[in-house]
Amino acid sequence: MPVSKSHLLFILSAIGLIVLPHVKHIPASVFGFFYVLLGWRFIAVWQTRWLPNRAVVLVLSIAGIAILYRQNLGILGQDAGTNLFITALGLKLFEIKAQRDLYLIVFLAFIVASSQFLYEQNVLMAVYILLVCTLLLATLVTVNSYRTQTRQALKTAATLILQALPMAIVLFILFPRLEAPQWLVLEEDHKALSGLSEVLEPGSITNLGLSDQLVFRAKFTGNIPPPAERYWRGPVLYYTDGKHWSQPDAQRLQKPPQLTGEPYRYTLLMEPQSKNWVFGLDMPGTVQSPLMQQANYQLITGDNPEKRSEYHLIAYPNYNTGELGEPLQQETLRLPGEPAHRIRELVEQLHGFDGPPQAFIDRLLNYFRQEEFHYTLTPPLIEHNPIETFLFETRHGFCSHYAAAFTYLMRVAHIPARIVTGYQGGELNAVGSFLEIRQANAHAWAEVWLQGQGWVRVDPTAAIAPERIEHGINIDQQAVSGALSFAAQTVRPGTALSWLKHARQTWDNLDYNWQRWVINYDNSNQSQLLSSLGINDIKTLVYWLLTSIGSFTALLSLFLLRKTRSQPDPSRLLYQRFCRKIARHGLTRHPSEGALAFAGRINSLLPARAAEVNRITHLYLKLRYGQHARKTDFEQLRKSVSKFKA
Amino acid sequence: MTALPLKQRFQLSRFVLGEKAQAGEITLNQRRIFILPTQRGLNFVVLIGLLLLIAFVYNNNLAYLLGFLLASVFFIAILHSYRSLAGLTVRAGQTTDAFAGESAGFEIRLTNPTPVARSLVSISLENTETLALAADSITALTLYKKATQRGVLTAGTITIASTYPLGLFRAWSPLRFDMKALIYPKPAPASSPIPEAYGEQTYRGQLKKGVDDFYGLNAYQPGDAIRHIHWKAFAKGQGLLSKQYGSEHSGEIWLDYQQTAGHNLEERLSQLCRWLLDAEQTGLHYGLKLPSLTLEPGHGQAHLTTCLAELARF
Repeated sequence: MPVSKSHLLFILSAIGLIVLPHVKHIPASVFGFFYVLLGWRFIAVWQTRWLPNRAVVLVLSIAGIAILYRQNLGILGQDAGTNLFITALGLKLFEIKAQRDLYLIVFLAFIVASSQFLYEQNVLMAVYILLVCTLLLATLVTVNSYRTQTRQALKTAATLILQALPMAIVLFILFPRLEAPQWLVLEEDHKALSGLSEVLEPGSITNLGLSDQLVFRAKFTGNIPPPAERYWRGPVLYYTDGKHWSQPDAQRLQKPPQLTGEPYRYTLLMEPQSKNWVFGLDMPGTVQSPLMQQANYQLITGDNPEKRSEYHLIAYPNYNTGELGEPLQQETLRLPGEPAHRIRELVEQLHGFDGPPQAFIDRLLNYFRQEEFHYTLTPPLIEHNPIETFLFETRHGFCSHYAAAFTYLMRVAHIPARIVTGYQGGELNAVGSFLEIRQANAHAWAEVWLQGQGWVRVDPTAAIAPERIEHGINIDQQAVSGALSFAAQTVRPGTALSWLKHARQTWDNLDYNWQRWVINYDNSNQSQLLSSLGINDIKTLVYWLLTSIGSFTALLSLFLLRKTRSQPDPSRLLYQRFCRKIARHGLTRHPSEGALAFAGRINSLLPARAAEVNRITHLYLKLRYGQHARKTDFEQLRKSVSKFKA
Repeated sequence: MTALPLKQRFQLSRFVLGEKAQAGEITLNQRRIFILPTQRGLNFVVLIGLLLLIAFVYNNNLAYLLGFLLASVFFIAILHSYRSLAGLTVRAGQTTDAFAGESAGFEIRLTNPTPVARSLVSISLENTETLALAADSITALTLYKKATQRGVLTAGTITIASTYPLGLFRAWSPLRFDMKALIYPKPAPASSPIPEAYGEQTYRGQLKKGVDDFYGLNAYQPGDAIRHIHWKAFAKGQGLLSKQYGSEHSGEIWLDYQQTAGHNLEERLSQLCRWLLDAEQTGLHYGLKLPSLTLEPGHGQAHLTTCLAELARF
């Protein structure tokens, strides 16, 4: 069968849509090349003389190869493969001669669709790809229909997909997930993912961008910690040259802290990260592989952090880390040089040298609170002696400035201190009752070592901007106005804003479940789920698979094929009922006897019923063979037959 | 429909040739419909394998899901394939007789008594007709089969097929009906004219005597009666010419098997066939004499068909 114009329009639209989301992942030259070819082919649907001849197609192919070659992508790997398939798809458009070519294009398009998932796996993308796949199937339906009916084809394709979905889901759940062998795993390009860094340099930042990009989610079983306790521990910074603060070398935890209080149990779902840091709620309890706890209580993972991963964690609100070792004490007391005169004066003024440590901490926090210190995300640039300049001159800064200054002053007063970076707060999703922690929740605070208590968390930012800790940063508003606000997020119920917030939370909840159950479904999730269903060996698995597919097929066949039985004529059913009634008089119709002949025979034997019998026979014949039978005739027949006394 | 014995049910010929020929109506059901993947369907399986390989290498769950979805679509397409033919009823219609060397026509009445419209149905004998069937509709169409031999031509296996909805599977049903077309002899080339009506005694009274009603000359053709040759013209060196008589247009003649020239039975019947056609065309009343039977003279299409049918069956 030849390829018609409507087939072409169908397939060109479908593949135009399937390549579209790749705009984010493939080089502009490849993307542009593809859409130039597509546009050209679209015009050629109407202007057939625009179709390039073989020589031009050859030149185009060489051009395509050259574009691919210039990208230096090689042949293997997801970027190379995606670009190769898209270029091939574009070139193949000029060689549609028979239906066979349409099929090849549709098959290529399915591969391009699946390559999309290597880059993005969110719900919207999944729904989009599903819709475009419907369009691709609809193309095949039009090719296999006598007449092209766009709506009918789309409906058929959508029906097929809807009917296939349950079975696909069963396969998805039951199909064994294995790790690909090492030789099959292709080297992936590392993508720049934003997040906390290893080095803190408060003076050099003049504009801290707040991104609402999700970092992780935490779903609690039981109590959710109050906002003021939501400190998610990240890298701990010791070393400083007065400007930069950096991490020590990694060390495994030797002596776990003494943990007390009602523990919080939660599941942490980390979004892809560039570093192997896992942000556990302070203070994390014992962890299992692949997690490790470092000497400074930070959690790190042994798995690939660029994959979404899930951890079951436990945290205790109260802890005592105990004695401080000699080397650590030295490291957390070390100053980059002799402190400036003004700083020594300040510490002396606040009784840092002669009072107890706790009193000094309180006085310092009070000092921050009462003097003209401001919290801002757009602090001035400080090039020299950042701590001194900040304390006595600029006095505008955000959490890092305060944490750095505080830690520095503690060390001057000979109290071991360090900076902890991580996240603070998190928005509670009321729909799914989990916390969402975004990049804007990034935070830095201080930890001081006190005799008898061990490391104690002190957040100087809380002294300057307690709302920052209690309510969190209002990300939405900041994004709109550029101004910073810590307004309590109490939105009056019933207002449009509350609806909006609810909608956003519902969406986030959906996204959370999507990440958790679909994207992140792996070998361990699977074995957990399957064993909860009682599937523990391959035999039971196969049994389940066959049973569910079998029963589903049976249901579907019943549904699909019920209408392919021809329906008996309702008037014939009525007449048969009449014949059964008459049969009680010993009169049965012979198979070859017509209705009229039968009526004649009845009348000769039961002349009293002649009027009734004739009426029924007449109506029946009219309904079944007559040209102008009406609905009322059927009603009359129905009444006459039911009135007929046997 | 009676149940088939097990042995018969698994006969390979049912898949290709269909069951024994039968008269009347055949409803397409699970016994009649066969389904196998097409070449494209097999390629689709390769595609699914490729998608699952991508999913496996990159450990990507959505790619897995897409692969599983297409696999399920493939599976479900079997049911839809079956549905594209199930419930249709097929009935043999009229046959169109033909001369040997031409194609005989077999009419097929295809009924869709169900509320399910069928988007693509193809019916093939030697040619393939493609059509769509609306819900509750009847369609009649004619299929052709080339006749090579005089005699009776059976329709053979008529295949109803569909690749709807995706072209990944082909559902087909080979059907054999008790349909026979008569194949008349191939008419001999128009070289031997109708033999002269030698039995003058059969002339009807009111008709003119044909032999007297001279109306022109024709070039002599083998088989022309010798006494019709225009000898005078021949003597003048004008070649052999035959005299033509008007009586042949309105007379009554007998076409006799014994009169035909030819090497064998088929050639002689071909000759008779040509005469029958010519006689009908020129408007003669003609009778047919075969060694086994005699048809009284007559005229018209019905008479011609009767005569031709006798030749076919001879």
